[in-house]
Amino acid sequence: MVEEKNRKIIAAFVLAFGTFAALIALYLDVFHREAQIRGGLLVIGLLFLLTGVRLYPVKNRKRMVNILFLLPLLAAFGITVLIPFVFGIFYSFTNWNGIKFTQFVGLNNYIQMFQAPDYLYSLFITFLFTVLNMTTVNVMAFALALLCTSEVRGKNFYRASFFLPNLIGGIVLGYVWQFIFNKVFPSLVKGSVSMLTDPNLALIAILIVSTWQYAGYIMMIYVTGLQSVPKDILEAAGVDGAGRFQTLIHMKLPMIANTFTVCIFLTLVNSFKQFDLNFAITNGAPSRILGAKAIASTEFLALNIYNTAIAKNQYALGQTKAVVFFVILAMVSMTQVYFSKKKEVEL
Amino acid sequence: MKKKVLAMAMMGVMAMSLMTGCGEKAASQTGTEQSENQTQAKSSGQAIRIVNGKIEIDEALKAFAKKYQEKTGQEVIIESLGGGADINGTLKGYLAAGNMPDLFVFGGEGDFKTWKDYMTDLSGEEWASQTEFSFKDEAGKVVGFPYAVEGFGITYNKDILEKAGVDPASLTSYDAYKKAFETIDSKKEELGITAVCSVAAESGQMYWSTGNHLFGYYLSGGLKRGDTTYIDMLKEGKTDTGRLGEFADYMKLLFDYSDPTTLISGTYDDQLALWAQGKTAFITQGNWIDPSLPDYQVSFDCGIAPFAFTKNEMKGILADCPSWWAVYNKGTQIDAAKAFLKELALSEDGQKCLVTECGMISPYTSNKLSPSTPLAMNLKTYVDSGNTYSWEWTKMPEGIAMNATGAVFELYAKGQIDRDGFVDMMSTAIADYVK
Repeated sequence: MVEEKNRKIIAAFVLAFGTFAALIALYLDVFHREAQIRGGLLVIGLLFLLTGVRLYPVKNRKRMVNILFLLPLLAAFGITVLIPFVFGIFYSFTNWNGIKFTQFVGLNNYIQMFQAPDYLYSLFITFLFTVLNMTTVNVMAFALALLCTSEVRGKNFYRASFFLPNLIGGIVLGYVWQFIFNKVFPSLVKGSVSMLTDPNLALIAILIVSTWQYAGYIMMIYVTGLQSVPKDILEAAGVDGAGRFQTLIHMKLPMIANTFTVCIFLTLVNSFKQFDLNFAITNGAPSRILGAKAIASTEFLALNIYNTAIAKNQYALGQTKAVVFFVILAMVSMTQVYFSKKKEVEL
Repeated sequence: MKKKVLAMAMMGVMAMSLMTGCGEKAASQTGTEQSENQTQAKSSGQAIRIVNGKIEIDEALKAFAKKYQEKTGQEVIIESLGGGADINGTLKGYLAAGNMPDLFVFGGEGDFKTWKDYMTDLSGEEWASQTEFSFKDEAGKVVGFPYAVEGFGITYNKDILEKAGVDPASLTSYDAYKKAFETIDSKKEELGITAVCSVAAESGQMYWSTGNHLFGYYLSGGLKRGDTTYIDMLKEGKTDTGRLGEFADYMKLLFDYSDPTTLISGTYDDQLALWAQGKTAFITQGNWIDPSLPDYQVSFDCGIAPFAFTKNEMKGILADCPSWWAVYNKGTQIDAAKAFLKELALSEDGQKCLVTECGMISPYTSNKLSPSTPLAMNLKTYVDSGNTYSWEWTKMPEGIAMNATGAVFELYAKGQIDRDGFVDMMSTAIADYVK
C-alpha cells in the first residue's frame, strides 16, 4: 500500500515536470520566442509525460497501451481534418483576413453571402452542372462498360484507352481543351466562333471535357459490377428465353444497384466540387447579362470560393462559403446514398 | 474517467507538439532549398531572406546577392515566387509558421492594408529621397522600396506606322487615333496586316489587361501624379459618367479595329503573337513584353504611345512601380536588410543588376544607366521627361477586375452592350462591388 502511494507520488512529479516542460516549449514556439532549446525541451517534456503515465499505477494498463498505439493515427486525423475544420467554422464568424481577425461578426458573413447575386448564381449553375454532369458521366460510363464487357474484340485496349484521360491532370487537360475549343473547332467549322464565348455553350464545353475525363473512371467501376453478376443466373435467364435487353433491365441492373450507388455518389461529389477544369477552361468567363448586371456565367462554387478568398482577399467570407459548401454537399450526397441504398438487392 | 481525461490531454499535447514540429521543419526546409545559393564565404550573423514576386529577375538578383556577399560578407537568400503563384497566400503561411522573410513583396494598396502592421518605416533611407515611385502609407511615410518602373499604353509597331505614314508622336488624342486607325485600315493589304489592333478582352483570362491596365487610364490618364480624384470616387462606388463615356468611345474604336477572334477568345499569348508576328500594328500591353520579343524574332522597331482616350491631348503613359519590397518590422535583420536595399538602389553594381541584367528601368534619379531593350528605352524617355501618370488602379478594391469589371469589358467587346450600356453597367458593377 505504502509502495503504491510512493509510486503515485513519483509518477505525479514526473507528470507535472513533463507537462511543465512541454508547456514552456509550446509557449516559446507559439509566441515566436527565438529559443533554441524549445525543440529539445518539448521532447524531454513528452518523454517525462510518457514515463509518468507508464509509472502511474492503474488497473487497466492494457487499455492505456492500446490508446497510446492509437495516438499517431488520432493525431494525424486531428491535425489534418478535425482542427482545420473547427478553425474553419470558427473563422467564418470573424473578419479573418488570412493573418488575424479583429472582431467577431456573428452571422454577418452568412447573411452577406446569400445576398450576393454572384454567389446565388454560382450556386444555381453548380447545381445545374452537377445534375447534367452526373447524368452524362453515368450514361456514358455505363454504355462504355457494356461495350467493354461484351464480346467485342480488343476490349482490353478500349478499357485502357477510355480510362486514360482520367490519369491526366485537370489543369493541363483544361488548357489543352481550351486550345481545342478556341482554335481547333473554329478552324474546322468555317465562320464559327469559339464555344467558350457563349455562356450556354461554355457550360456545355466544360460538360464535354468533364464527361470525357471522368467517364472512363466510372466505367471501370461499372465493369467490375457487371462482371460480378453470377453467370449461372444469366444462363438460367437465357434458357428461360430472356433476350439481351430483358436480361440487362431485369437482371443486371437490379443486381448491380450498389455499383450505381457508388458511381452516382462519386460523380455527384466530383461534379459538385469541380474546380480544376472550371479554372483552366473558362475561369468564370464568358460573362452573362443578368438584370442589367454582368455576371461570370460559368463560375462554379469551388471557383467562387477560391476567388472570394484569393482574388478578393476576403478570407473569412470565403471560409463561410466553404462551410456552407460542406453542409450542402454533405446533405445532398447523404440523401442520395440513402435513397440509392433502398434500391439495392442483397444477394 | 480519469484515464480518459489523461489520454485526451496527452493527445492534445502530442497534437500540439506535432504542429510545432511542422513549423520548424518548414523553416529549415526553405533554408536548405536556398542553400545552393550560399557560399562558404565568411558570413556575419544570419542571412537575410527576400521573397521576390518577379520570377523573371530571379537569376539576376541571385547573381547580385552573391556579389554582395563577397563584398560585405552578408549572406542574402532570394526566394522567388511567381508564374501565377499566390504570393499573399504563401506569405500568410510564412507568417503563421513564424518563418517570415526579412524583405517581402507587396503589390499595392490592398496588400498594404493586409500587411501594414508588419512594415518598417523607411523614410530615413538615402534612396527614399531619390525617387518618386516609393510606396507611402497614409501618413506619408515611405514603407515600400521600388525596384523598377513599368509602363503601358498602346504599344505600336513603328515600321508599320512609318509605312502607313502615321507619326507615332501624333497619337495623343481620340481623334488622332481615329484618323490613324482609318489610315492603317485602308492600307491593310499593302502593309500585310490582318487587323489594326491586337486586343484581348475575354474576362476569364484577360481581365487584368482590360479591367486593370486599360481601365487604369480612366482612373489616372492625363492627371498629375498623385491626383486621386477618380480613384477616390471609385472607392466610394461612384464614377464620372462624362469621362467614362469618353473612355467607352475609345474602347469601342479599339474593339472595332481589333482582330475579332482574339478580341473575344484570345489569351495573352494569342494577343502577343498576333502583334509580334507583324500582323497588327498596335497592342494594348506594356514594356513587359520586351523579354518575349526575341522568341518571335522581332526585327521591327517599336514604342509605346499613350492610351489617349480623351478629346484633349494626353501626352504621357501610365508608368509606376508594379510592386514594392517592405522590410519585415519584427525581423531580426532590419538594419542588414536596409543596407542591402541601399546597395541595390544606389551602388553601381545594384543599378547594373536592375537595369542591365533585369532589363528594367531604375526608379532612382541617380541612376545613369540605360536599358537596352526597345520598349524599356522608349519608356525611359517618358520617365525622364516626366510624362508619366501614376498607377492609381493598384488602389482599386482587390479582385474588382476579375470579379466585376472584366466581365463588362467582355460584354462590350462582344457587342452585347452599347456605349451607354457600358457606362451604366460599369457604374453599377463598381457600385455593387464597393458596397
